[in-house]
Amino acid sequence: MAPAVQTEGLTKRYGLRVGIENLDLEVLQGEIFGFIGPNGAGKTTTIRLLLDLLHPTSGRATVLGLDAHRNSVAVRRATGYLPGEFGLDVHMTGRQFLKYCGRLRYLDDLGAASQVADRLDLDLDVPMGRLSRGNRQKLGLVQALFHHPQLLILDEPTTGLDPLVQDTFLQMMREARSEGRTVFLSSHILSEVERVCDRVAIVRGGRLAALETTESLLERRRKRVTLVFNEPVDATPFARLPGVSDVRVDGNTISLRLHDGIDAVVKVAAQHTLLDLNVEHPTLDEVFLGYYDERQPWPA
Amino acid sequence: MAGLRQVWTLIAHQLHRRVRSIGIWGVALGGLGALYVALYPSMSSLLEQYMEQAPDLMQQYMGEIQGSITIEQWLGMELVNGIIPIALPFMVMVIGSRAIAGNEERKTLDLLLSNPLPRQNVVAGSVGTMALSLAGVLAITWILTYIAVPAAGVELSAGRLAAGLAALWSMCLFFGALALLASALVRRAFLAIVIPGVVLVAMYVIDGLAQASKTIEPLRVLSLFYHLGRPLEGDFPWTAVLVTLVGVCILAGAAIAAFARRDIYT
Repeated sequence: MAPAVQTEGLTKRYGLRVGIENLDLEVLQGEIFGFIGPNGAGKTTTIRLLLDLLHPTSGRATVLGLDAHRNSVAVRRATGYLPGEFGLDVHMTGRQFLKYCGRLRYLDDLGAASQVADRLDLDLDVPMGRLSRGNRQKLGLVQALFHHPQLLILDEPTTGLDPLVQDTFLQMMREARSEGRTVFLSSHILSEVERVCDRVAIVRGGRLAALETTESLLERRRKRVTLVFNEPVDATPFARLPGVSDVRVDGNTISLRLHDGIDAVVKVAAQHTLLDLNVEHPTLDEVFLGYYDERQPWPA
Repeated sequence: MAGLRQVWTLIAHQLHRRVRSIGIWGVALGGLGALYVALYPSMSSLLEQYMEQAPDLMQQYMGEIQGSITIEQWLGMELVNGIIPIALPFMVMVIGSRAIAGNEERKTLDLLLSNPLPRQNVVAGSVGTMALSLAGVLAITWILTYIAVPAAGVELSAGRLAAGLAALWSMCLFFGALALLASALVRRAFLAIVIPGVVLVAMYVIDGLAQASKTIEPLRVLSLFYHLGRPLEGDFPWTAVLVTLVGVCILAGAAIAAFARRDIYT
């Protein structure tokens, strides 16, 4: 089965400025893939290249096994896309707009539009010019979902949505995955990525900084381990362990940052009387900030 | 066939959005036509006297009008060779400018192209919308102008009036297609109106001045106003219309090529 999205050396430059550089990415079918990074990191550029709205400077991209440029119409037929920013015809209602989109897709009916709109608590019969920011976003989501696409490419999908609707949206993404569909989710709201994504790519300065499962990304990054002993303990053996950094001693307590597995730390700790052991796993936000902290080296 | 259905969907959508604008343009130009028809009986003798006393240069500028002025000459001078070809192109220039650059500025192009829509269909849909919008405005203009003919007691053939207005269709469409090409190239809807607008005004000025100045006369062939001739007087410019339509096709083809190569920004 072809990957849902695959890029090889995908590069986009805007004059001297780099949009993305040499991006190699593979999104598997049936997964929810998080694509995270700060503003200007290259997330939207990547998405627009996948949809042939931008043309690459070099490299290539395939979507559902189809060349993103040469077969762009077929790609868009199988894809539901929510742009990060979009305008709407203020004189039309949501229903009229969706009917128009449906006709352009050769659909005779509105498919799941009413059902999706109901779940998102959106009235489709209000002129789009009167919709609030959140309701406009909901309409964008309905537009991306109503034709039941094989691949969903969503750029900052929860912007402007209230927490309840965000929950509903995330549930809908899980349902799409359970139906075997693929979701490519660009976001800088890390908590939602952490909640639904199977794998995460982090982009920094137009380059891929990490591509892993959400679990391993959280696991592999620096955990904070706190060891409480019955008496003060020499911290040197801990500091010498591979993957250990930032060792701090406070009375009977030693805390350290750990990149790799905890086994070696536990074995050294077991040579003393250990009263308590606490492992704080970083949130994706902390991982993300770690990747973006200029003092941090590039990840291997 | 599927592509045609998609193009028709685009055209129908655009026409639905512009039905009021088409009506306003038609009523405005048709109302003006009716007014000129109504004024003709009283103006014809005054104009005859004026032309007799006008300086040679002015007489040349006004064309080869000799003796009493006919209703065809009067409507040609004021409407078919006057107001409509200088005003109506702006209606389609707006449509052409919005098709790509305007939609990009308003951020509606992304959602449109998120559908399985080849870019050439966007251009084809826009040309179709311009063509049908113009036809609609000219048809309303014809009806309203002709309604005044029996009321004013003048003799004007419905076919002659229709031919005179029909001759303007391809010319106006040409400027719309030029705006569409500019829209594919420049990314700014305003510029996509300004560029064909400057060409239009330049052609109008060249044609007008060439009638009075031997120096400028060789440039007259560059003006579509010159090739338009005097269609209301029974001289339908078949060659000019066909050549202009070929020009529309070339401009549309260039717009397709430019749009296919260009990036779409948010």
